[in-house]
Formats: sequence, structure tokens, C-alpha cells
Amino acid sequence: MSASTAGRFVGQSVKRREDPRLLTGHGRYVDDVMRPGMLHCTFVRSDVARGRIVGIETEAAKDLDGVVAVLTASDLNPHAGTMQPTMLLTTPGAPLRPLADGDVRFVGEPIVLIVAESRYVAEDAAELVEVDLESEPPVIDVEHALDVGVAVVHPELDTNLGAEMAFPIAPELAALLDGDNAIRRTFRQHRHTPVPMETRGIVVEYEPAGGVLEAWMSTQNPHEAKQAIARVTGVPSHLVRVQGHDVGGGFGQKFFTPREELTVALAARRLGRTLKWIEDRRENLIASNHARADVAHCTFALDADGRLLGTYIDHLEDAGSFPIGATGGAGALVGLLFTGPYKCPQASLRTRAVWTNTCGRGAYRGPWMFETVAREQMVDAVAREIGMDPLEWRRRNVVPTSELPYTLPTGLPLDMVSPSETLEQAAEIIAYDEFRAEQARAFAEDGRLLGIGLGLYVEPSTGMMDPMGTETAVVRVDPNGQVTVSLGTGSHGQGIETTMAQVVAEELGIDFDDVTVVQGDSAVTTFGRGTGGSGTAVIAGNSCRSACAVVRAKAIEIAAHLLEAAPDDLDIVDGQIAVRGTPSRAVAWSEVARIAHLETARLPEGMEVGLEATATFKAPPFSWSNACHACAVEVDRATGVVTVLRYVVSEDCGVMINPMIVEGQVAGGVVQGIGGTLYEHFVYDDEGNPLTTTFMDYLLPTTTEVPTIEYGHVETPAPTPGGHKGMGEGGAIGSPPAVFNAVADALAIVGATIDHTPLSPDVVLGALG
Amino acid sequence: MKPAPFEYHAPETIEEVCSLLAEFGDDAKVLAGGQSLVPMLALRLTRFEHLIDVNRVPALSSWRRENGTLVVGATTRQRSMERDAAVADAVPLLAQATPLIGHFQIRNRGTVGGSLAHADPASEYPAVAVALGAELEIAAAGGRQRRVAADDFFVGTWTTVIAADELLVGARFPVWPAGSAFAIEEVARRHGDFALAGVACAFVGERARIALFGVGPAPVRAPDAEAALAQGADPAEVAALAVRDLDPSGDVHASSATRVRIARHLVERVVTRVQEDLRAAG
Amino acid sequence: MLPVEMIVNGTRRNGRVDPRKTLADFLREDCTLTGTHLGCEHGVCGACTVLVDGEAVRSCLLFAVQAGGSEVTTIEGLGGPDGELSAVQDAFRQEHGLQCGFCTPGFVVSVTALLHENPAPAEQEIREALSGNLCRCTGYQGIVRAVQRAAEAAR
Repeated sequence: MSASTAGRFVGQSVKRREDPRLLTGHGRYVDDVMRPGMLHCTFVRSDVARGRIVGIETEAAKDLDGVVAVLTASDLNPHAGTMQPTMLLTTPGAPLRPLADGDVRFVGEPIVLIVAESRYVAEDAAELVEVDLESEPPVIDVEHALDVGVAVVHPELDTNLGAEMAFPIAPELAALLDGDNAIRRTFRQHRHTPVPMETRGIVVEYEPAGGVLEAWMSTQNPHEAKQAIARVTGVPSHLVRVQGHDVGGGFGQKFFTPREELTVALAARRLGRTLKWIEDRRENLIASNHARADVAHCTFALDADGRLLGTYIDHLEDAGSFPIGATGGAGALVGLLFTGPYKCPQASLRTRAVWTNTCGRGAYRGPWMFETVAREQMVDAVAREIGMDPLEWRRRNVVPTSELPYTLPTGLPLDMVSPSETLEQAAEIIAYDEFRAEQARAFAEDGRLLGIGLGLYVEPSTGMMDPMGTETAVVRVDPNGQVTVSLGTGSHGQGIETTMAQVVAEELGIDFDDVTVVQGDSAVTTFGRGTGGSGTAVIAGNSCRSACAVVRAKAIEIAAHLLEAAPDDLDIVDGQIAVRGTPSRAVAWSEVARIAHLETARLPEGMEVGLEATATFKAPPFSWSNACHACAVEVDRATGVVTVLRYVVSEDCGVMINPMIVEGQVAGGVVQGIGGTLYEHFVYDDEGNPLTTTFMDYLLPTTTEVPTIEYGHVETPAPTPGGHKGMGEGGAIGSPPAVFNAVADALAIVGATIDHTPLSPDVVLGALG
Repeated sequence: MKPAPFEYHAPETIEEVCSLLAEFGDDAKVLAGGQSLVPMLALRLTRFEHLIDVNRVPALSSWRRENGTLVVGATTRQRSMERDAAVADAVPLLAQATPLIGHFQIRNRGTVGGSLAHADPASEYPAVAVALGAELEIAAAGGRQRRVAADDFFVGTWTTVIAADELLVGARFPVWPAGSAFAIEEVARRHGDFALAGVACAFVGERARIALFGVGPAPVRAPDAEAALAQGADPAEVAALAVRDLDPSGDVHASSATRVRIARHLVERVVTRVQEDLRAAG
Repeated sequence: MLPVEMIVNGTRRNGRVDPRKTLADFLREDCTLTGTHLGCEHGVCGACTVLVDGEAVRSCLLFAVQAGGSEVTTIEGLGGPDGELSAVQDAFRQEHGLQCGFCTPGFVVSVTALLHENPAPAEQEIREALSGNLCRCTGYQGIVRAVQRAAEAAR
């Protein structure tokens, strides 16, 4: 942390405001919400991946004591508005529907909604529903989903191609890609899923007389949920309120408003009852959203010194059946970012999103991150092929800081990043050269396989699509000088109540304890972007800064008037507005606030009463953060077990508001990456039946699978006022390739290779032969 | 995920438990630690009209050393097997195996008898019972009792010789002679997970017993390997014999081939250890 | 419905429950102590951990009727009456051992039990003991540090 940028609060690891209530069991998560007359929901779901609904028998379920309603498509679907997210309303996507209607398109698709007096009874009723399904051959393998003669997942769309973007290949590039110095590899990333510890859930209360709908929801984005619920239910959006309160993790899964939440809202509207639906873990694994199912055929063309001359990536992403958000993916960015932090004059790409009869794809921490997986794994493969150390290859090819700004071959402008610095810092912290010596010795003397891997990346901000690039803050000073900040965010672990209070306290010159943050509630905050896409520090932070600038200027003007001093001569420090150099000529911030509200005759002539401001910040279309991950592993030759020995992250997110929180975000992402590369795997059989439906089979990493993570920080300027850069997703971007590369490095000692994940004992032993 | 309805019984004597089992047969299930049963009920993978909670039967909940045997009541918590020095002293293999079971919260409720009666192919206690040559005590209504050798007790995946109207009331672990060597090792995907493969071994003089787990529907004895070990063969040879006839099922966690490969490696490690221990003991 | 009576956080609680109602649901609904969380309901994630007669157990795997006559301690019962944090709770705060907070009650209860039995655990012992509690936000970094800090503070 650079001393020049650390302030009294910003730059300090201030302990979190959220913690006392969360540590003492007084958090308010959606399942903690109890409303009068509340009923409980569960869904009957498809157990075939593709098929025709021949009939649904609900009488026995309806007759069960305690059951209030048993709803099918005919009860709900005709009354549903669109279920597409707000920012994708005009983007074609899968034909979303509340309940399956006439056919089912993935195992887990909701067919019937049961409403009962308790979840226990609802599940009893669910067992009494008979759904007669005629199964049909499903489309499961995304790599064959576009073959001629393959069934169509969505008959309404008559193709399984959901989206495609392709750049032309210039003749010069084509020649390079076909040339002798072109190296080709295919990389696959397997299907896994975000798994927040709190599953999804919603409580919806519809009051018919006034036509008001109130919802409590596990969401990253209350304003988006409000808009989506309004559209699907037909309740005017200004009569819809969504509250998030405490949200137990999201990682992208709760950024848009998923299907079941919208269906329950619609049902509450239709029934005029208060309904609660809490997703159970099996549903969360099978039917919420999946991610990371990608394939890429990559080509690097090099010169004789191993420098990149051109690249091509042919990327395929599995969109599943009903993705959340158009195709659920970010294929365009995968193609556009493929060359990452490396110098490369020419590149081309094709990226396609394809439907399959599986659970829909959705955002998961760095939805485009497969570009880093494919590229960084390609870098190591290429380096090994030409006999160069992967660190040396990166040194040779990384865009040096002196050559910034640098335009990527796909046209994106890269600036204010530090990939070369983070590369060197990570290598130094992990003691790369010493590790190489240790690796050689361990093999020569003990036959052990140690490996080291790097993951170097640049991460773009999401300023591009409205409303992702914008946040509005309201900074409101009470008559006693205490400040309330309201933001349209949806905090779910990032500590927004703490970090934004740090920013505001710093900007206003008052105490952190005198600032409180209100967020996660659509009724008391201005329309905002929610929380996701690594945007809080940059976008929410700077909206706070902008609003504080107005409030601060007004407070100083009032104080200048009271003190008969010039505004430029005044500073606010520790809640005192004083003449610089003459501390006795001062007025307390709290006094200024009191006067602004309650003794308004003392305000300057013509000044408006009160002390508050609303300001909006829109991020520039591109701002970048970056990091280098370094991972050291041991591969057990006898058992195929991979042990992560060391993990280093050198990251640059500009000015850190709260270093403790930054490192926490990185750590969480890193462990998700370790989990995703070594343990987690959502598996379907060939018929599209899920095989990993509980935590016994879908394996999350625990305390024993991860090491203590080591951090290094680099701080380069950002093109935004506070100097911050987005970093919430980065931990999950650099980690999968760093782990993969480390294992590949270990296996290369004995000539074994890997090309797919997760790196289970099966895969590792298979490679070792 | 809520269980289907059931009637709950909390008898206080073995006889009452057995009467209930005789009355309800396959419609009843014994609830001991619940660490394996309750998840299955919650997932509605199974259901029973009657649950017979045996946690309030004092006669089942204690253990004692009776000369050359550690007699462990069926509802003895797994944690007491790892906490009490007297267990480590009498039956070291039991004390060594226990920390491998799941996590401490599971072991706080999980029972010795429950684990044996549940007979998961990848669990440790059945293999320990087989490796040591333990006996299982089974009761039925009318005061009937029988003892079954561990070798005969486990017959298949989640299947023992306990009949629908019978109750496992205890396990009798023999105290092996001073100077015996014991080892148990397993490989799991994560700490506390079910073993992909595991090996338990007890060895003294010319008496060697090897039980593999996670590689068949029930613990697998390896008689040829045992004979080789007793005759002082080297660990690699014993290991090759131990896995020669294995044909485990594979699943999402590990294929059949991987399990066999790991089992072989573990036999080699375990045999190396017990041989070293015996040499050190002189 | 069966009667059940137990002491929860020092207070006698009575109820009538369906025998299949889990202890977790009894605590959350009948006792309105919603600090105990349900992360999986099949005994793997540990978010539902409470102390029953001093032992850490998964409350989703116990039926409420089974806890009759027992003393149950939940996350709400660990701190002081005026909201003072226990040593373990404070250590979690100091070391950023929580982010979204959903797994936290299970961890804090488990750590409280762990340190009671093993007041000076080595790092590997800490990791092994807590491998039955899942966290998705912290990567366990702050959690392990919190346990070390709480152990240190008790010395």
C-alpha cells in the first residue's frame, strides 16, 4: 500500500460494519423473513432432459391437507410478461417461460409450482404430482450440437446456434496461421457452477387493493429485480419494492433475476398471497445456472524467437437451455481479449454460443475468463514446445509498460495496467528460479513431481453496457452531522457498507463512525447497477466521491460564511471545518449541518436549505485491472492427487479502499479457481441426467485443499477520480490456468500431458499412464 | 429438502427396540447417529414409516475393556474412540481409523454400531472390524442374541446379515498381542470424504490380516497377500497380490482402474509401515 | 405432533413438533433464532452447526425431538448480553474471517467447540478440524487466521 495514497480511512483495513450482526446470528437473509400468512413453495421438476409433457395429474397433490395451490403452465404462463433481464430486452435469447409448457428442455426444468402451509407439506405434495413425460433424445454434447440432423433444443428458434461473432482473417494472418511456426492446441473447461453458500430465494407479498408488490430476495441487484418482477407480473414498477438485506454470496448467479423468483412473484400476484420460495441445494446445483463450459481451438503463430505474430481462437460456449441473460455467456469478450497482456500484431476469432438440453448458463465471476484459461494454458504449451521457460516466454511477449497505451489486435485500447510488473513481482514472491532448482532436485533425488504455473491477465471494466457503467449516490447529512449514503448496489459479501463509508468519511473529513450506508433496497435508493462486474470501487465509489464533492463544497461555503473566511482557506479535518493554519478559527461539521437544517437564517444569501447531494458516475468505456497468479504444486505419481503447495497473487487494482477486503476478494476467487480446476465438476450422463446433485458429489474445496495465499500489490493510476480499479472477479480469472499450468509443468517432467479439467486422480493418472 | 413423514419411537431398552423391529419389519429403520441416514431421508432417497431412535437406550451407549476384548456398545459415539487413551491402548487400529471418518461434527453424533450396520463400502470401521477379526453382536426380540464374525457380517453394498427384526447391539474388537503392528491409510478426494480406496492392516508374528475398502461392495480380505506378508515378502509383492483380483465399480470420483491403482499403492505403504514397526519393536 | 422441551441459549423452550422437523428448523422457526443457517440440508456444509450438550453437531441431521432434554447453544448464544463479541467472534472480525456471513455461524460455533477441546491447535490441525465447514467467499484465509488469533488471545 503506497503511503502517498493511504488516507485516514481510504487505504486502511478498517474493520467491517457488517460483521457484528453477521457474527452474532442477526443477519437478515431471505429465509429469515417471516411475513403474516406466508405460504411456502416448491417446484416439481423434469427428470428428463428433453421430452414432451403428455399429461400432468395434480388432484392428489391438491387434496393433501395443507396444500393451497398447485399451478401449471396454463395457470401462470399466459399472464407472464417477458422474463429477459432489463439490459438484454432487445437481445434475442432463449424463449424463457415461467413453467414448462408442452415440453421440457433440461433435467430440473420447473413444471409445477406447489404452494402449501410448510415446505415439508409442499414436498409431500410434490411427490403426489404425476407428470407423464415422453422423453426424446436430448442434445447434451455442445461440440456436436450444430451437427446436421441433431435435434433442436428450442423449436421456436430452429437452430441450436444462439449467437455467433466472427472476425475475418486477413490473408497475412491466414498465412501465418498455416505456417510452419504455428502451434495448435485445444483447451476445454468443464462445467461448474457458482455455489453461493446461501441458495437463491424470494418472499413475495402482493397487496391486491393497492396493487403493491413487495419482495425480499437473495439478490445482487435489487433494482434489476424490481424491473424484472414488474415486467413479468404486470405490476407497475413504481409499485414494486425489492429488498436484499443480507445476501449470502452470489458470484454472478444472483445478478439478474432468475426464472423461479419471477415465477413465484407471478404466482403471488395471481393468488394474492404471500409466498416464500427457498431454493434447496439440490435445486441450486441442478437448476440455477451453470458456467465455464467452454471449448477453444487455439492457434499461435510465432517468430523464430518465440514472439507472437498472430493468433486465432475458435471458441464454443455451452449456453445450456435457458441461460440467464441472453446466452448467459460473454463469448464476444473471450475472442476480443484472447491475446491479453501480450504483444501481438494480428488476431482473429470466432465465438459461438450453442444451446443444449442442460441447465442454462449464467454469469460466474469473470464470465469471459475462458480467454485467460485458453491463452495462459496455450502460452505454457507453446513455451514447452519451443523449449522456452514459460516465465521467459511471458517476459518476452508481455506488453512492456513503456509501450502503453497499446491497442490489442482486436481493437481494444489497453492502458494504465502493469502486467509486466505483476509478472516480476509474482515470480519474485514465489521465488521462481529457486523453485526450478528445487523441482529438479526433487525429481532427480526422490522421483517427485513438482510443478509451477503462472496465470497473467488483464481484466476490463464493464462500462460498456447500460446500466453496468453507472451508479448514483445520494449523500445526505442529518441535522446532527451524521451522514447517510444511499446506493443502488446489492452487497453480498464485499463489505459495501464499510468501503463506501470509508470513501465518504475520507471525502468529507468526518469520522467513519458517523457515516452509514443504505443499500440493497429499491425503495430507498436510486436506480443503480447492483453489485457485480468488479464495479463497486470504481463506479459506486466514484459516485460517492462526486456527491461528496457537492456536499463538501456546500459545507465549506456555509462555514466560510460563518467564519468570514475564504472557502479556499478552509479544510475539513476530523469533523472540524477550520482555517488552514489557524485551528482556533473553526466550526464543527455537526454545527454546520445543524445550521443548514435548523437555523437557516444563518446560511449565505440565496443558499438552499439542507445539506445533501445526488451524483451519478459513469465509468469510462474501458478501464483495466490486472494480476499475475503463480502456483506451485506437487503431483503424487502413485495416486494422481494434486497438492497446492504455494499460491501467490500479485495484483494491481489501483488505489485500494480497504486492503483487507481486497485480499479477501482475491482469496475467495482464487479458491474458487482451485476448486474449479481440481475438484468441482457438474457431470451429466449421455442422456442429460445430472450425476453430481449434492455436496457429496459436487466437491467444493475445504480448508485442507488450499494453502495460505500470499499477496503482492502493485498500484498504477486509474483513469477515474479515486484511482481505484475493479477487482472483485480477478481472483477467479487467473487461478484456473495457474493451477492447470503448474500441474502440466509437473507432468511434463515425465512427458505426460493434460488438456482438460478437472484434474482429478483419474485425469492425472491417465496422463501419467 | 425435508424428509417424508414418519412415526417416531424412542425406546429405552434393547428388548423394546427389538419388539418394535419385530412388529414393523422393513417399514422401520433404526436411527443411531443419523449422519448417514438423515441425509438420505432429507433427499427422499429413502423413507420409512417408523424411525426407532436408539440413542436413549443406556445399554447400548457405553464401551468397556473385558480382558482380551474391547466391547463397544452400538451407540457409542465415534468420538469416544478417538478421545480415550484406553482405546488407543487396547485397539490402536480403532483409534487410528476414527479421525479419518468425516469431520469432527459428524463423529460427535456418528456411532460405532451405526457405521458398522450401515456398511458403506468406502467406510473405515467395517474394514477395521475385518482386519482385526472382530465379532458383531446382534439381538432380536425375546432375548435372542447371536455373534457373527466380521468376515461373515458384511455381505454387500449397505448390506449386512442383520435381519429386518434384528438390532446390532455391539462390536467386540479383540485386543491383539503386545508388539502387534497396525496401520490404516486411505486416499480421498478431499479430507474427510469417502475413501477412493483404503487399506487396514494388523500384523504380528505370522498372523497378518489385510482388509481393503472402497474397492468392492464390502471390505475385501486379501488372503494371498496376507500369506505373503506373514512370510516376509516385500511390500510391492504383497501389494500386487492384494489387488490382483479386485474389480471395483467406478463413479464420478474415480474409475475402477484408479481405485485399484491407489489400493495397490496404499497396500505397499501400509505393509512398509507395519514391517518397520515390527522391526523397531525387535 | 410430539412435545419437545430443551434449553436453548440458557432459555427453556417448549414446542410441539412433527417428528420429522429438524432441530435446525425448530431453532429457526419455533424459537425464531434464525442465526443458524441451512446451506445444504444434507450434512456437508456445516452452516447449521450448533452445540448440543457442548458438542458441535449438524442441526440439519438431528430431529428436534431428539434434542429433548438437551442444552443447545446457537450462534446467538455465544456473545455477551449487550452484543459484545466473544473472543472467537471478535477474532473473526479482526481477521476478516467472513464476507457474506452465511457460513459464519457454523464456523464460529465449530471453532468455539474446537478451541474448547484443543486450545492451541497447530495450523494443520485447524485446517483438518474445519474441513467439515464450507465457505465460498473467504477462501478460508481469514478463517484460519481468526482461529489462530483466538487461540493466541486465550493464552
